[in-house]
Amino acid sequence: MASADFLSLLPALSVALPLFGALLVVPLRRFGERRRQQLLAGLCGLTTLLVLGLLPGALAGTPRAISLLQFTPQVRLLLRVDAMGALFAATLSVLFLLALIYSGPYLQRREKGAHDGHRDRYFVFFMMCQGWMLGVAWAGNLITLLVFYELFSILSYPLIVHDETPEALRAGTKYIVYILCGGSLVLFGIILCFFLVGDRPFTPGGMLDASMDGAMLKVVFWSFIAGFGVKAALMPLHGWVPDAHPVAPAPFSALLSGVMVAAGCFAMMRVVFEVFGAGLAAALGVMPWLSAVAAVSVLLAALLAAGEDQLKRRLAWSTISQMAYVVLAVSLLAPGVTTGALVHITHHAFLKGGLFFCAGLLADVAGIRRVSEMAGAARRMPLTMACFAVAALGIVGVPPLSGFVGKWVMGLGMAQAGHPEMLLVLLGGALLAALYLLPPVWLAYFRAPAESDDGRCDPSSRLEAEAPVGMLGPLLAATAISILLGVCAALPGLPLSLARRAAAAFFGAEF
Amino acid sequence: MEVIDSRIVLAPAISLACALLIFISGRRAAWRSTLALGAAALKFAVILSLLPGSLQGTVYAYRLFDFPPGIGIAFRADALGMFFALVSSTLWVLTTVYAIGYMKDRPQKLRFFGFFSLCISTTVGIAFAENLLTLLLCYEALTVCTYPLLVHDETPEALRAGRKYLVYTLAGGALILFGVVMVQHLAGTLSLSQPGILPADAPPPMLLAVFWALVAGFGVKAAIMPLHGWLPSAMVAPTPVSALLHAVAVVKAGVFGLLRVVYNVFGVELLAVLGYAAWLAALAAFTIVAGSLMAMAQDNLKRRLAYSTVSQLSYIVLAAALLTPLAALAAIAHIANQAFAKITMFFVAGAVEQATGRRQVHELAGMGRVMPWTMGAFTVASLSFIGVPLFAGFVTKWYLSLGALQAEAWWFVLLMILSALLNAAYWLPIVYLAWFRAPRGLPARVGETGWLLLAPTLAAAAYVVLLGVTTRVPGMPFSLAEAAVNFVSGTRGGG
Repeated sequence: MASADFLSLLPALSVALPLFGALLVVPLRRFGERRRQQLLAGLCGLTTLLVLGLLPGALAGTPRAISLLQFTPQVRLLLRVDAMGALFAATLSVLFLLALIYSGPYLQRREKGAHDGHRDRYFVFFMMCQGWMLGVAWAGNLITLLVFYELFSILSYPLIVHDETPEALRAGTKYIVYILCGGSLVLFGIILCFFLVGDRPFTPGGMLDASMDGAMLKVVFWSFIAGFGVKAALMPLHGWVPDAHPVAPAPFSALLSGVMVAAGCFAMMRVVFEVFGAGLAAALGVMPWLSAVAAVSVLLAALLAAGEDQLKRRLAWSTISQMAYVVLAVSLLAPGVTTGALVHITHHAFLKGGLFFCAGLLADVAGIRRVSEMAGAARRMPLTMACFAVAALGIVGVPPLSGFVGKWVMGLGMAQAGHPEMLLVLLGGALLAALYLLPPVWLAYFRAPAESDDGRCDPSSRLEAEAPVGMLGPLLAATAISILLGVCAALPGLPLSLARRAAAAFFGAEF
Repeated sequence: MEVIDSRIVLAPAISLACALLIFISGRRAAWRSTLALGAAALKFAVILSLLPGSLQGTVYAYRLFDFPPGIGIAFRADALGMFFALVSSTLWVLTTVYAIGYMKDRPQKLRFFGFFSLCISTTVGIAFAENLLTLLLCYEALTVCTYPLLVHDETPEALRAGRKYLVYTLAGGALILFGVVMVQHLAGTLSLSQPGILPADAPPPMLLAVFWALVAGFGVKAAIMPLHGWLPSAMVAPTPVSALLHAVAVVKAGVFGLLRVVYNVFGVELLAVLGYAAWLAALAAFTIVAGSLMAMAQDNLKRRLAYSTVSQLSYIVLAAALLTPLAALAAIAHIANQAFAKITMFFVAGAVEQATGRRQVHELAGMGRVMPWTMGAFTVASLSFIGVPLFAGFVTKWYLSLGALQAEAWWFVLLMILSALLNAAYWLPIVYLAWFRAPRGLPARVGETGWLLLAPTLAAAAYVVLLGVTTRVPGMPFSLAEAAVNFVSGTRGGG
């Protein structure tokens, strides 16, 4: 355990700040809506800076850990900084900041004075969610992971059902049922794990060992995979994803796709590499099964995305497909692939976040909710559609955008690890991504807008040609980040270096 | 270390004196309220003053007088007894405040508060009983004192429920008496101060008869299925009564009796040899699931609470029947965890009824917008029952699961998880209705209830969170539970 110096307090502080912000939401109302959002964004920005400030230490491998509270006699809540956690924390806090800035004008436009109470609720749970998710990123042992994982999963329910339409409520119910069942499986795994080895911090290389009962280990493994698989939208446990995304407010869909689904993958990596360890996981002989499931998930979800007309649903299917890449990468147990997967999580977060920001703007400003309605959208909203095009190309994996980097590193790793057949899955997924993301871009740029009933363009849409600045800003920022992360991928301190560092820890010196 | 200390007699005596004073001079509302509150606070203070010593392993004892020669009315506060006494006296303070607010406009307050005090007096007597005879005496007294509270409204329905209650519990009491006589015959003592008094060489059929007589007798109040019939009907009582007596004192007295039977009469070692506990565990497992399923079918909020109690009590029975130290910890800790969460829910049910007159689950739509603090407390209690980490219920679930693994019975871990999901299935719809649906048909001026109802509710909800996160804080009940387990398992305990 590291000494409790000031720097060790930083992870705990970064969890506490957003939670403090959640408490402030209602009292801050007296300063007016605009001022409140600025203050909240300031707090969120401060958190982000704090997290980014932890990156150099994580890269250098300085141990920083703090034991928050002795939870039950043998169990403590432990927060600590490591490369993988820092990467995820930085990703999610930047995306949360962007989404928060986007949320203000988004909500204001949607419900002009209708039900303001909901807006308070939205911000309270939004801020809370960031705190809990940072807790997931910094979690230093299984129980801490579980605590924060359950908290953010359950407490994001009010954000999903924010609109309280019948569809939203139905999707919310579906979500909560899936999440509770998943959480129970995770708990089952953790209890068994605790029984086997007691409370141990995550250790690269694993804490379980092969001398334990093989059947028991397999049960533990599958309950973890199935439990976290619900969140990670691993098929066939993905049911809630395509329903929850379209009904949630756009900024929250961005987070849901960008970092919440990824949290499931993140937790899965923790379990595979730091509870089981790559050696034991390989010895158990369960990984080929996981590879098969993930590969099917990549391709099938992409096909379903191509067949979906509703834009946000299509994006949701795309998330399922993209996140299955990460699971596939984990199941191959090779350093290169793992590096690629970690980078992919971050890059995908900003790309998909950007796409959902676009989808929100399209729906909100131009009333476009379906792919088939997107004809000519680029003429009305040139900036929005430019960002959409960039993000779409990024997801497909066109260099030099960030999406390319992750896939390149993953692909290279697959070849090195002796799984060239998986390259086909990777490429197939990319081709299908082109199939489901490029047609909207094409429609928007190269088709004339559909004419309205009286033969002329809808005059109201002319009035509001482009999106409001408050919402466009975060979108542009997300796009810029996606481009930068691609172009400058090799710079130290950026995701690739952190991912290398994490993978090196998982696989010992061999990388 | 055993110390003779009259404070442990003082604790039940305070409530007894309070009851007498109320009966004699409790006509004026202000005086009556002062009396009731004062006695509650005083008793809480007395028990709290015993706590530091108890945590250090001191056992307080006091012998009143010999009743039949050799077997006295004697009190003894070991860790398990202290735990139960601490929980019930804490809740008594909360419930007294609540009852003063709730009963303001109802008839027969004198009788109500008098018997209310008597009940708590006998409950502490049960907690501190040194031998089975004292325990039985207080147990029967509790049965009798509860009756007037239960039939308080004197409607035909209430009277019917009261009759049912008496039939069930008096029959149970008779079984216990039978068991007690047999124990005296076999062991030659009724003392509860040792980890097991029954000799291992006693004839097995006799032991079997004693076991089932005592289990069935205490099982009536512990609402083990199929002996639970009285509990849902007893929900006709005024809400503070349901809250304290049917979620805390009466049912917990049954459970506490069972714990005494398992840990102090038979002892873990003897039971492990005899193997009866496996049957008890199976029965408890059935009750957990069936109780939850029944709860799901209820539309009346208080009846749903009652079936949930049936299910939750069996957590304790199951944990005791597993006979492992970690499970014992779960059993004892759950006495408090369930009590605080359940009393929160009852307080909420009463507050909602008081404010809006609604008692059915489906009428709760939008209640969160009208009474946000009250429904917030309800949400906290629901999350605790589901076993979300950082809430009290999680601690139970965690230790019970580990205890089951210690006993090499992993299917009970699955049972825990199934039960958690069932709990989610009948609590979350209420939370959902309250917060995410618009209120319907409520008059415009309906809002939160007064502080007398709200404050105890919030305090109980705060306790639910506290119990979940501060298990390491000395002075919280959990440390007592550990001390009790050390005694029961005769080792370090706690794993």
